[in-house]
Amino acid sequence: MRLNRLDLIRYGRFKDAEIAFPKRDEGVSDVTVIFGPNEAGKSTAYHAFLELLFGFKGGAHPYAFRFDRSDLLVGAELDLPGRGALALRRNSKRSQSLLDANDRPINEAILSGALHGLTRDTYEERFSLNEKGLREGGERIAGAQGDLGQLLHAGLSGLTGMAQTLDALAERADKFHKKRGRGNALKTGSDRLKEIGRELRADRLTTERDRNLRHDRDRAAAEFEGVDAELRQAHQRQAASKAAEVWYDRTEEIGQLTEALVDFPDGPELPPGAAERVAGLVEKIAAQTIRIMEAEEEITKQDLIIADNPVDMLAQLLTAELERLDQLTIDGAPLMGRASTARADLARRSEDQEKLSSQIDTVLRLLQVPDAPASTIALEASVLEHLAAAVQECLTASISADAARKAVEAARVQQGDAPAEPQDLTALRAAFDLWKTVADLTALETDQSQALARLTKVTAGLPGSWKELISEGLPTRETLDEVGRNWAALAADLASASNDLDARAAELAEARGDLSAHEAAPDAVDIVITEETRRRRDMVWQQHRGDLTTKTADQFEAAMYADDGTRAHYLTGAEARQRLLAAQSQERTADARHGTAKTRHDDLVTLCDRLSERCSRLALALGLEEDAAPSAFSARQQTLNAAAEAAADHSNAKEALRARLAHQEAARDALIGAARPLGLDPAKGALPTQVQRALTLEDSDRKAWAKWQDGEKTIAKLDSKSEECRTDCETAQGKLDRLTAALPLPDHSLEAIRAALPHLRSLQQLYGEHQKLSARIEALEKAVAALADGAQSLNQILDDPEEEPDIDPVRVIDRARVRVAASMRADEKRAEATSRRDETASLKSRAKTELQAAIGDLDGCFNGQGGQDLAPRDRVAKLVERDRLRADKATADRDRQKARDSVDADLFAEELDRMPDATRAAELEQALKDAQDSRDTARDAQREAARLYREAFEAADRSDLATEQATLLEELRSGARQAAVARFGVLASRGALRRLAAERRSGMLRDVEEAFVTMTAPKWKGVDVWSQAEGEKLVGIQPDGSTVPVEQMSTGTMGQLYFALRLAGYRSFAREPGPLPMILDDIMETFDDTRARAALRLCAGIGTNGQAILFTHHAHLVELARDTIKGVTVVNMPD
Amino acid sequence: MRLLVTADIHLGSPIRSVALRNPDLGDRLKQASRDTFAEIIDLAISEQVDALVLAGDIFDNGYPDLKSRAFLIAQLARASEAGVPTVLIRGNHDALLDHKAHGDLGPNIHLLHKGAPTVEIGGTAFHGLSFDAAHVAKSFLPDYPRPVPGKRNVGLMHTSLDGAQGHDPYAPCAERDLMAHGYDLWCLGHIHAPFERLDGSVLAVMPGIPQPRHFGERNGGSVTFVSLSEGAPEFERRAIGYLGFSECALDLRTCSDQQEVLLSLRDAFISAQVPGRDVAVRLHVTSDRHGTELVTELAAEVLDSIDRVFLDKVKSAPPPRKPGAETDDLVRLMQDELAEEGFRQAALQQLEELRLALPSEIMDELDEGGLDALLEEAIAEVSLTLHAGASQ
Repeated sequence: MRLNRLDLIRYGRFKDAEIAFPKRDEGVSDVTVIFGPNEAGKSTAYHAFLELLFGFKGGAHPYAFRFDRSDLLVGAELDLPGRGALALRRNSKRSQSLLDANDRPINEAILSGALHGLTRDTYEERFSLNEKGLREGGERIAGAQGDLGQLLHAGLSGLTGMAQTLDALAERADKFHKKRGRGNALKTGSDRLKEIGRELRADRLTTERDRNLRHDRDRAAAEFEGVDAELRQAHQRQAASKAAEVWYDRTEEIGQLTEALVDFPDGPELPPGAAERVAGLVEKIAAQTIRIMEAEEEITKQDLIIADNPVDMLAQLLTAELERLDQLTIDGAPLMGRASTARADLARRSEDQEKLSSQIDTVLRLLQVPDAPASTIALEASVLEHLAAAVQECLTASISADAARKAVEAARVQQGDAPAEPQDLTALRAAFDLWKTVADLTALETDQSQALARLTKVTAGLPGSWKELISEGLPTRETLDEVGRNWAALAADLASASNDLDARAAELAEARGDLSAHEAAPDAVDIVITEETRRRRDMVWQQHRGDLTTKTADQFEAAMYADDGTRAHYLTGAEARQRLLAAQSQERTADARHGTAKTRHDDLVTLCDRLSERCSRLALALGLEEDAAPSAFSARQQTLNAAAEAAADHSNAKEALRARLAHQEAARDALIGAARPLGLDPAKGALPTQVQRALTLEDSDRKAWAKWQDGEKTIAKLDSKSEECRTDCETAQGKLDRLTAALPLPDHSLEAIRAALPHLRSLQQLYGEHQKLSARIEALEKAVAALADGAQSLNQILDDPEEEPDIDPVRVIDRARVRVAASMRADEKRAEATSRRDETASLKSRAKTELQAAIGDLDGCFNGQGGQDLAPRDRVAKLVERDRLRADKATADRDRQKARDSVDADLFAEELDRMPDATRAAELEQALKDAQDSRDTARDAQREAARLYREAFEAADRSDLATEQATLLEELRSGARQAAVARFGVLASRGALRRLAAERRSGMLRDVEEAFVTMTAPKWKGVDVWSQAEGEKLVGIQPDGSTVPVEQMSTGTMGQLYFALRLAGYRSFAREPGPLPMILDDIMETFDDTRARAALRLCAGIGTNGQAILFTHHAHLVELARDTIKGVTVVNMPD
Repeated sequence: MRLLVTADIHLGSPIRSVALRNPDLGDRLKQASRDTFAEIIDLAISEQVDALVLAGDIFDNGYPDLKSRAFLIAQLARASEAGVPTVLIRGNHDALLDHKAHGDLGPNIHLLHKGAPTVEIGGTAFHGLSFDAAHVAKSFLPDYPRPVPGKRNVGLMHTSLDGAQGHDPYAPCAERDLMAHGYDLWCLGHIHAPFERLDGSVLAVMPGIPQPRHFGERNGGSVTFVSLSEGAPEFERRAIGYLGFSECALDLRTCSDQQEVLLSLRDAFISAQVPGRDVAVRLHVTSDRHGTELVTELAAEVLDSIDRVFLDKVKSAPPPRKPGAETDDLVRLMQDELAEEGFRQAALQQLEELRLALPSEIMDELDEGGLDALLEEAIAEVSLTLHAGASQ
């Protein structure tokens, strides 16, 4: 394959750009240098070439920035082996993306065949190389340690990671498992599996373990029951012993108490709390006696206080007069509070009044009514506000009326004259629309002529009677297909049957021939014939015995020989008889087969005759000759059907045109009818044109008329509004006139009133203040007089002969208030003393009553008791002690009864017999402790057994371990497979690489050496191969003949060796299966000029086998290429 | 009458997938068989079925533990207390259901066996037989009781029917014989993939394993409700279980870089998601340069951000070679190498050495019979790894 031209039609930044790779003359190396600075699009061109060859990759496209992905398009002209130059295009569709020069999809196989089935990746690996790949490839092949197979493989495939791959696979396998290795996955996993297995087995509740646990539990429970019973017995005996001891001790105590009670008084037992009750009553009697004495002293004391505070007879009169004075007020406040300041305030107010009168006079002068009383001019505040509002209203209404009048005038000027009123064109429009729908006959005329042409064409090959055939009805397609199929099948069957019959006839003839031959064979005689010859011999013998003639002797001899011969043949003819039998069988089989074949053939002939008759009928129905072949039926039927359809189409088209003409005539009449009333006449010119013009102008006329009418409405509204404003103005003026009619002002015009308003407001304020001040002065004068009258009355009530009557009202009032206060204090003391005296008397009475009750209760407490000679406190103490002793005795008796009743009677009796016994309790305590210990031990054992049994069921089922076990096994299963795959991969790879070395060394080593020396001379003069135990290794030969293993070469030399290997690999591929373009992307940018020249010479070597394409952005490399490679083509990247 | 039919619970048998190496998933699913059975009981109670039918293999031979039996009894008692009786038979893994050795299961729990092959519940006769042997070569069907006239008849049988791939033959029975026995409904067990057969008015139901345990049981994860009324029984299959297995084929050849590979993997995993259920995905990858190990690593990275989807296994293989394509020298020569007897001997020796080092439970993974497949995988793995190195 060769690339002649690359078309960047819509790709990356390119549009309709191309890069040409002109063909070189024979003998000139095919090398093209593509030069362009950085970002010129070299990578773009490279990717475009790859996508042309292998199709666009899926997903977001890196070069779809100028054009959408769906619009990307690349093309090329390629020289393909066996096809020559071929222009191709590739779009970004998923399928059928490879196109020819006319954008028609073509088969991908054209390209994939020329690419020898390489994928995009393998093409890139093998046929492209850049500086990075060259450098890293050199470093990576060092890992091959000179292995010839790996190096040649790297050269062929471009894959340099073989050593790393094999190492990685081996490491993967070793990580999983290595013989005698520790810490690998298999060892770790197996160890863990064993642990899990142990834990699971230990935790698993098997049937046997369940049985054992249940047995242990039941046995422990039985043992516990036994020792528990013993413990209960020990408890009972100890309790019986304790009860016996109680009985013995309480009996002793009862005897002592009975003796002590003899010294105490008789009588019933005191009720509970009797001692406390007696003590309380004694205390109460003493306290009530003291309380009566204290009450009598208090009564005497209160009587003295009452006597010291008598009643004041004048107080009531003084109080009434003072209350009257307190009711007097001035300015809403009590007069008494301002009594001393009222007289001074009166003088000050009078001066203020004078000042206000002077200011009022000034305002009246400003209003030009100096002599008018202020009361006639001063208005109420509300009236004044109404007046101001009326003035403002008059002003506003006047301005509005003026503005409205001006608006009306302006609108009339703007409105102008009225246009002509438009006419109603609805009917005309409808008629015109109707006419338009039928005016154009072109389409129908075309349809008719096309239908006629089609009919003529379809019926060209048909007989003249085709219409009759169609009208009589055509056979159905299914019928014809069925007949066709049957005819073809029958013909094939018949041919097959004829052939079969011939074959069977030949087979039968052959079988019969064989049978005749076998029957004719003398040793094919069967036992029947031997029997027959024997019978014949015997019969002839009998005849000969009877006759004994020569003739019979001869006959006998002949029969004897015949029989002997037959028998001899029979004896030796087993195989011949078998063959005969086989021949007979074969003949029968062949005969049967021949019969079957003949029957089948005859049946088919009959069927064929019947079908032939049916075909004849169908042929006539289709207008064909009677003997026409069924294969012609379908085409004729289709032609007739097409003719029928074409005839129907033509008839329909003709009818449609006729109907359209009738509609057109009617529509024209209607249009004339609608146009005439509007002044449109066909005589004046083309009517449709006139109508069209009228309809076109209708809209603008209607708009102008509507606009003028809207203007008239607007003017009418403005007129109305102007009239309203004028009316409002008159109304406001009338209102103002009414408000000012009573005012004694010299001028009542709007302007005069508007100017007088501030003065009227001042006058209203001054007049109001003057009126308020006058009223206050009058009130002050009245208050001072009332105060003097009150003081005089108080002097008369007091009327103290020892005091001189006072003329100052304030002092008189104060004196009266002191007298009243003293009287009130005396009243209070007297009332309090009276109250306390009454209260104390009541207390005294109650104390006497309670004293009597306490004495009675105390007597009740001792009712029926002895010890009357004792004081109440001592008496009750004695009785209480008596009752305590009685209670102790009863308690002791109850205790011993209870102790006896709570234990086993027999055990009690036994233990009581032992009393007194000082060691018995300790003895029983020890026995109980022993029993308790035994019982505790058995209980623990039983609980433990029960716990073990219960926990065995309740224990977690260790699904976690089972799950881990299963997961681990799956991991190991997968790991084992991967490890085996890795090991086999390494094993197979190493063998394959040895084979590769053996297979390719002769073909590639010379190329490698030549390229390597070209690149590295004079430092290296060749390469050689060493055979070692682990395989063949490549070494370099230095000028002095010494050899250097590859892994000891410098990094630069390694890179050059890698380049040499790739060139050799290219040549190998180019020889077989064939050359493909090799793309070299600036691989020489780090080379010095000497090495770059050498590399360029090697590129020229590629060009002699195939095509080399070098991308570079270095101008000096371009010049070097021109110097080094004869006839090299240099192409600049397109703009 | 409405029944909940299930079988093949395999209580205690764990899920077998590398996906459970994920700690959260492993923790969630360690009780999967028990949790699923408890869910079945919940379902029977909430749906108020008239009976719960267990057609064998409630336990698993590999994990015999009386705790599982105690768990079973507790769960069935829960159903019984809620008014749902249980009818069951033993399967080939149910030694723990031996009533002679371990006693009865409790009230309203009917274990059918030769001594008591029939129980009547709600006017419907349930017939079933339990056999003791783990392997039964003959059909059970002739020993089943005749249908009770005038009643609906339901049969329980643990059988491999005419044979099923991946399942041992157990009480084989011709399907047509089964359907002709005269019962209205057959509740079957043993085959872990669910199916239903309706022949006229006779229905046979294989409910499938409720909780699939490995990729091979990926069609399971269901129970079946059956309604018996006039006419043919009606059935409804209902999904159940906590983990499903899914198979996903992925072609990575069109991916130009690793980011696109990650996106493709993400799309594949998201499409495998099932609401409310964990899914273990087995990935079949076609690629020129992405080996099993590399894809496994990338998939693990992607799955970190996808809920409830986990990796069961990756199988990566190169695409089939086009006819006439130029074969890579290495691949061609490796195939030549495989054909060498000496190579095969060496490979067998390595295989045996590795096989013998494995725990006995998984030795079958490296049987000699699988050598050819392993060798093919080896060639593919070398090629993929080599090309993967070239693209890095």
